Amino acid sequence: MSLVELLRVTGLSANDISTLKETVAQAAIKCPVVTALQLHQKEGPAELSYGYLSTGCQQLDKFLRGGLLSRGITEIAGESASGKTQLCIQMCLTVQLPHELGGFSAGAVYICTEDVFPNKRLVQMVDLLKKRCHIPSVSDIKFTDNIFIEHAAELDDLSFCINKKLPVLLAKGQVKLIVIDSIAALFRCDFSVHEAAKRAKQLSAFAAQLTKLNCQYNAPVICVNQVSDVIHSTNGATQGSRKVMPSLGICWANLVTCRLMLSRTNETVTVRQRDDAGNVVSCIEANVRNMEVMFAPHLPNTLCRYIIDHDGVKALS
Amino acid sequence: MQRELGSFPLTPGVRQKLHSAGFLLVEDIIQVTPEELGREIGITSEEAHDILTLITGATKPTSASGAVPTDPTMHLERVPGHMTLSEMLQEPQQFIVTFSERLDGMLGGGVPLTKITEFCGTPGIGKTQICIQLAVDVQIPECFGGVSGETVYVDTEGTFIVDRVKDIATAAVDHCHQMAAVEAGHNPQDTTETFTLVSILRGIHYFRCRDYVELIAIIHMLPKFLKEHTRVRLVVVDSIASPFRHHFDDYSLRTRVLGHMAQDLSRIANEHLLAVVLTNQMTTKLAAGEGQRSHLVPALGESWGHVAGVRVVLNWEGQQRCALLLKSPSRQQVIVPFQITTGGIRDVCSVSATQRHVTSPTPASVSSKDTSQGPTKRRRLDT
Repeated sequence: MSLVELLRVTGLSANDISTLKETVAQAAIKCPVVTALQLHQKEGPAELSYGYLSTGCQQLDKFLRGGLLSRGITEIAGESASGKTQLCIQMCLTVQLPHELGGFSAGAVYICTEDVFPNKRLVQMVDLLKKRCHIPSVSDIKFTDNIFIEHAAELDDLSFCINKKLPVLLAKGQVKLIVIDSIAALFRCDFSVHEAAKRAKQLSAFAAQLTKLNCQYNAPVICVNQVSDVIHSTNGATQGSRKVMPSLGICWANLVTCRLMLSRTNETVTVRQRDDAGNVVSCIEANVRNMEVMFAPHLPNTLCRYIIDHDGVKALS
Repeated sequence: MQRELGSFPLTPGVRQKLHSAGFLLVEDIIQVTPEELGREIGITSEEAHDILTLITGATKPTSASGAVPTDPTMHLERVPGHMTLSEMLQEPQQFIVTFSERLDGMLGGGVPLTKITEFCGTPGIGKTQICIQLAVDVQIPECFGGVSGETVYVDTEGTFIVDRVKDIATAAVDHCHQMAAVEAGHNPQDTTETFTLVSILRGIHYFRCRDYVELIAIIHMLPKFLKEHTRVRLVVVDSIASPFRHHFDDYSLRTRVLGHMAQDLSRIANEHLLAVVLTNQMTTKLAAGEGQRSHLVPALGESWGHVAGVRVVLNWEGQQRCALLLKSPSRQQVIVPFQITTGGIRDVCSVSATQRHVTSPTPASVSSKDTSQGPTKRRRLDT
């Protein structure tokens, strides 16, 4: 409110009002000022610090400068079968790892909106992860018990889930990762073309709630998104190579901190599965896929090739 | 004009009459003619005229005639800190360089102090990178043509990543050290030693804010903070749009709140001689009627467009990042390409190679290294 208005309403003097305003302002600022140096040396208050969540593959972590940023919303976009869900499941496992292995030693919430959660694949990945790590602290983790799966078939379910259920789980400290697979499904079909403004409003309210939770509990948020074809209105159709971009438009893009794009190529490589003794057990053909950083505050726009095998997502050297 | 009428040398009778008629402050009485006043409180208009003369004479010792000043422009001359145009011309305009010569050229030398500059653009275009670059560049010592200041960085989106600041700051420090090495005779060695990564990081004061209430509070507290930190020459708000784009159903309230904030910011910019840099998001302006196509415009509405003195829109042109000067009081509308490298904002390679980067090999070497690494790196544009 302006000074004049306050003067009129309260009848206080100008000096009193400025004191009042200052007091209110001081109370409203929750974060104290810190210098970047303090942040760099991790001296700042806990709520300002951020970390990286390992993806479970050292090369991918290196590519992403340590893993997924724990601050803000990370979007994973891609065509169907490009490996979005696989990456998400893997993150659900790595978040449970102890800190020295790049995890946050806490569980995850997995909100499915498209399909049922692939339980079998999860169990398979857990088994293989336990086989690979021979550290007792890892084999003792009950991975499957720490993933809370939530099905939201409609927008109302989703908003109830993130507004009511998530804060409770996060407050208990059991959960340090939120995965929504996928955000596009609900927002794409529930609104008609003419309701774009309404959709934008809902999306931003939704993102605001997620960001709030993210700030409060320092839990990374992953949103899976679908892609839409880019159609150039000038030449009528897409020419040559297909071009896709994440769906939901610029309004959603404004709300996302990091955007990763996954895609599948036609190349294949042969991956040999080895047992503990180093003997080749089986061979599988795996598609080479690309992970591209579309934008992120800390990463250049680069590309990384990866594959998905029994163990999960792995970068190619 | 808050002075009470009781504080003037009036007779108790007149004072009583004024009071009971509801005239309490100078501002209540100043616009009233003697006749009206006489009627209101039951005295002759001559007496009323004397009272008014006394009051206006006391509040405005300069108005010689003592007549009731009805022209509000008369007050303006007395505003402290006013300047004539010739005085303003003598004060050199200072700039914060962006490390991209063409971007600087577009802005007339860099981001100007005492003004509000706004960068708008789609996500991922590099708004935050420009902010971080400026936050580092403002600290360049005076002997390198910098302003040797500090930064207040208000982060509303949580995109301030210290690792990235480190990259950009390291590149800037290297650049300056190399410049110092080339012109060794002219730069004292100790200046380069004080300009280090640690000093840069120490010079960035970081505020994290999550909603618009916090943002307003921070801006309200800024004058006090700036009094304690007099070296601050740059205030960055990245981004101004995000706290205001949700939870606001009442758009007229939003416009008002934004207006107040803009006033505060421009006052801060003027009083403390610093540059204010804001970033804004883009939004789709829906087609209003037939024949009009939906297109992207900076967010926060029409009235916000008046706030920033300098407005730059960043967008993709093919694979090239481009900056368009949308609004500026002194420069013409141009489009310049730029790129973002590991070291921060730079000119596009082919340009920087031909220009005076002989003295400063850092940007060129960094950018060429960078482009060779990434297969999807921006295609270079020959201009």
